[in-house]
Amino acid sequence: MSIGATGTDRGAWRLVAARDFRVRLRERSFIVSTLINLAVISVLIVLRGVSGGGVPTFQLGVVGQSPAADRLASAQGLGTVRVRIVAFDDAAGAIEALRSGGVDAVLDGTSLTGLHTIPAPLHLGLQAAEASLRIEGVIVALGGDADDVAAVSDPTPLDAGVLEAGGPNRDQNGAIAFIGVLLLYGQLFGYGVWVASGVIEEKTSRVVEMLLSTIHARQLMLGKIAGIGLLGLAQLAFISTFAISLAIAVGVIDVPGTAIGAAGLVLGYFVLGYAFYASLFAVAGALVSRMEELQNALVPINLVILVSFIISVGALDDPDGTLVRIASILPTSAALAMPVRIVLGSAAAWEIALSVGLMLSAAAAFVPLAGRLYAGAVLRTGTRVKLRDAWRAAA
Amino acid sequence: MLELIGLHRRFGDTVALDGVSFTVPSGALIGFVGRNGAGKTTAMRIAMGVLQADAGEVRFRGEPVGMLDHRRFGYMPEERGLYPRMRVLEQLAYLGRLHGLTKDDASARGRDLFARLQVEASLTDRVEALSLGNQQRVQLAAAMIHAPEVLVLDEPFSGLDPTGVDVLADVLLEEARGRGVPVVFSSHQLDLVERLCDGVVLIDRGRIVANGTIAALRRSRSRDLLQIDVAGAADRWWEVVPGAALEEQTPGGVVLALSKDADPQRLLDVARAQGDVTHFARVEKSLAELFREFVDEDTAA
Repeated sequence: MSIGATGTDRGAWRLVAARDFRVRLRERSFIVSTLINLAVISVLIVLRGVSGGGVPTFQLGVVGQSPAADRLASAQGLGTVRVRIVAFDDAAGAIEALRSGGVDAVLDGTSLTGLHTIPAPLHLGLQAAEASLRIEGVIVALGGDADDVAAVSDPTPLDAGVLEAGGPNRDQNGAIAFIGVLLLYGQLFGYGVWVASGVIEEKTSRVVEMLLSTIHARQLMLGKIAGIGLLGLAQLAFISTFAISLAIAVGVIDVPGTAIGAAGLVLGYFVLGYAFYASLFAVAGALVSRMEELQNALVPINLVILVSFIISVGALDDPDGTLVRIASILPTSAALAMPVRIVLGSAAAWEIALSVGLMLSAAAAFVPLAGRLYAGAVLRTGTRVKLRDAWRAAA
Repeated sequence: MLELIGLHRRFGDTVALDGVSFTVPSGALIGFVGRNGAGKTTAMRIAMGVLQADAGEVRFRGEPVGMLDHRRFGYMPEERGLYPRMRVLEQLAYLGRLHGLTKDDASARGRDLFARLQVEASLTDRVEALSLGNQQRVQLAAAMIHAPEVLVLDEPFSGLDPTGVDVLADVLLEEARGRGVPVVFSSHQLDLVERLCDGVVLIDRGRIVANGTIAALRRSRSRDLLQIDVAGAADRWWEVVPGAALEEQTPGGVVLALSKDADPQRLLDVARAQGDVTHFARVEKSLAELFREFVDEDTAA
């Protein structure tokens, strides 16, 4: 017979999850890790804003009104230059702003003034805008109609293209992918370690024995994984929201759609990756009895995640390499490698579907195995429990 | 009443329990004694469903016990078990909810027990900040948070000061006498078991070697012991009485073991013929002595 096999309370894991979520939310280490994450991301974003990735942006001082400046400013779709107009009432004020660095150049009627130089894209853009305005004036004077005017005022009369397209905004997407994979790595590893150390805390304090008199070992493990995972997800959502808002505010990204999509990917792949790794972390925690032994027990899992991370950082340069493609499909590394390829536009739909399918199946297969190992090991203190013994103890 | 029936459990090649059966009647306090490693903790863990038995059964009120029934039991593990960094009331409330209480009920019960067990601390203190004695009281509060229908306590008295022992003993007696809860606890403090318990279960090497009231255990031993002090008696004076044998030489006299057919009155007559009898009394063996005898017999067997 099997005592305790009859009757279960399927809701008890929620109590466990709620406790783990609540307790850790108030822990110093959680608050500190959130702040560190925010700080690192802020530095990355602000540095990028200063070094001026993507489309160059200029502040143009305009004295009075300038149709050419308005034309250039409104034709942002050109994608080669961005202009923000700073209006001045008189030339003196505009020149003062130019000297103090408030604007990059001053346009007063038809005179364009720079400090030491006039930035070339700004210069060319303004000349082109002024030229097209004059041509439009001539067409109207010659009796041309609106269609003729529209024909010359088309800001992109040439179809621009490249032989080897890197996808739109590849540079910017690379940055987003890098931040994403960095976050995912930190989050998967950090929260995995929390699961393992949470298991050890219950084991060393023997509170697990109290808990096991009210709840099955598997439910206890799942509750802990769920509670800590939810906290990780919430933290990630908070950090992503902060990062996107900051990036928009400092003008690093002008296509928030991609960043929001990438944030969604990071959240989704955190759930998948965590579902895969967390039960392994829980077993590692159950096998040892003291925090000091945890490092050793975690080495194999550590290594897998670290190698996946290194491959994924490599994928930023070459998302189509064979190793990267394999890594993005294997469940052991897909959580880090696949989102990079997706953001860089290199993953085919079938590859994504396959990797998600494999991760879900692997997690579904691992959780019951891990549950049994956990149940067999969590009551045993003293020396490190061998996997084989844990397996047989829970038979 | 709680029944353990034919429990067997092995760990690898070690046999921890080899057919353990005993009963804890409702309203009774049962002491569970045995040497370290005899199987006490394993049996209690199985009774609580923390560990599975290889064979055998636990019944409560005649019904086999399942996980949802264990939630109505109260348990105090040997090495204790509380989250060190969680606050006292929060912890009690959490454990209460795992036992099926609502949040409000769990908190209210936590406060009551905190007062009843006279914990000298604040409800918002972290458990790790409490003295060991107070931690132990909180541990008992955790075991009783849901007004359990059974109490299974592994070494509840170890490490308590005399005041703590008294508070704990009073509470256990109240639970047993007042609410009719079957209470079983293990202990190495045999004098305490003797003082408190209605019955004793003695386990050795995974088997129950004695089970009953202490009086019954004493009676089950074939020999009576008499302490006799006689002034100026001759050497081996008792040998004229059939069935009397020397058990122990004491400073003022001797302790004699009498077989069932020996006549104490005849022994007294012989003693008085020797000189002034200053002491003549039956020696009640303490539980500790009985324990030693049972264990020695078991080891010799």
